[in-house]
Amino acid sequence: MSLVAEAFVSQIAATEPWPENATLYQQLKGEQILLSDNAASLAVQAFLQMCNLPIKVVCRANAEYMSPSGKVPFIHVGNQVVSELGPIVQFVKAKGHSLSDRLDEVQKAEMKAYMELVNNMLLTAELYLQWCDEATVGEITHARYGSPYPWPLNHILAYQKQWEVKRKMKAIGWGKKTLDQVLEDVDQCCQALSQRLGTQPYFFNKQPTELDALVFGHLYTILTTQLTNDELSEKVKNYSNLLAFCRRIEQHYFEDHGRGRLS
Amino acid sequence: MAAPLELSCWGGGWGLPSVHSESLVVMAYAKFSGAPLKVNVIDNTWRGSRGDVPVLATEDNIVSQPAKILNFLRKQKYNADYELSAKQGADTLAYIALLEEKLLPAVLHTFWVESDNYFTVTKPWFASRMPFPLSLILPGRMSKGALNRILLTRGEPPLYHLREVEAQIYRDAKECLNLLSNRLGTSQFFFGDTPCTLDAYVFGFLAPLYKVRFPKVQLQEHLKQLSNLCRFCDDILNSYFRLSLGVDG
Repeated sequence: MSLVAEAFVSQIAATEPWPENATLYQQLKGEQILLSDNAASLAVQAFLQMCNLPIKVVCRANAEYMSPSGKVPFIHVGNQVVSELGPIVQFVKAKGHSLSDRLDEVQKAEMKAYMELVNNMLLTAELYLQWCDEATVGEITHARYGSPYPWPLNHILAYQKQWEVKRKMKAIGWGKKTLDQVLEDVDQCCQALSQRLGTQPYFFNKQPTELDALVFGHLYTILTTQLTNDELSEKVKNYSNLLAFCRRIEQHYFEDHGRGRLS
Repeated sequence: MAAPLELSCWGGGWGLPSVHSESLVVMAYAKFSGAPLKVNVIDNTWRGSRGDVPVLATEDNIVSQPAKILNFLRKQKYNADYELSAKQGADTLAYIALLEEKLLPAVLHTFWVESDNYFTVTKPWFASRMPFPLSLILPGRMSKGALNRILLTRGEPPLYHLREVEAQIYRDAKECLNLLSNRLGTSQFFFGDTPCTLDAYVFGFLAPLYKVRFPKVQLQEHLKQLSNLCRFCDDILNSYFRLSLGVDG
């Protein structure tokens, strides 16, 4: 969004309270959604649960194209549409709800840095695994990505997306990485997160922040998604405090509120 | 270490040992950790390669990319992070990710994409350090690579238009600089009194932005207002790079 549009949206956002019929759009859960998109969607859902804001999840095959930035998930609140966790956090803040206001400047800097770490390493590794690892692409990604569409559209869309992702990987220097190197990066990232979390319940002690939502979204999805092999989830399972962290958030924010188990 | 470690990198100017961020990160780390590096500055003879700079060459290995070079140096027992706790090590990774995601696009834009800067400063400087006819081709390619990287990581499909992205990346970069300034506070280095990997990365990204004279300087102006970051760069230049200055002007 341009700067003017963003200021305008913030103004409008601030005037209306959170409605009951706010919806979150993502791709079809069972057949279409991929690991990285599921992680992003779960992160937003966790964040909104932590803020105690009601949200209804709606699955649409063309969610990616409906989104204003081309990325899922996006939320439809009142008459505004906002996509991706960063802008959604800003939007929610304009409405007067924030999880990170109590942090001081240094802690806010740390929080932003760790969120970038997750985006930089975990998300990129997920994209690499989905789109650049031939085994996963052949067995899982291609079939899932194009599943709502008839032939030949399903193949064309899948190849187009793969080409786009490979271009991006090449631009940031991940084009020449092997799967083992990517898994090592994931391990490094999990180690950093584990060391930062330590024995605390959340990253900034007693209360969760958007960082906790983001980390939960990614780690939970990695742990519960069936891929061609278990190497990725094994990397996460090495760190018991991260497992406990995921379990804690799942219990506290998803089961207690009567939403039932996350599938 | 008996085996000589040779680093090929881009040379310096404007008071810096190198104007290329990645080369500067490696040089700073080597100074901090005490690694004996022989620096080969790339010039306009055909000697040495220009792709993938900086490159570290030892007797049996060639290592490229700053992260891999730093890893290699650590394995050779040149470790600047010796005294860091586990949490500080984790913080280092996080802040480096912040630099790469939020600051790097704007730095690339300032050097390689902003036309006034590129044509009056960056291109002539790099072209003068490449032999003909490479000097006609390579700067253009580096510029396209930078633009590509910015658009692919920050641009939003299906438009991929630069105008919309520019405002956002500069805003993110200014926020990142503010965050770094807040984090540094009044300390001399980011983790106590001795410099480590994070200091090398921050120095590598900030020093060229701080010192190189550009026509279009919005990010530089913002940086100059954050006096503790400027002091940080000047301190490192004065303490660790004083002897090698005066060779390149």
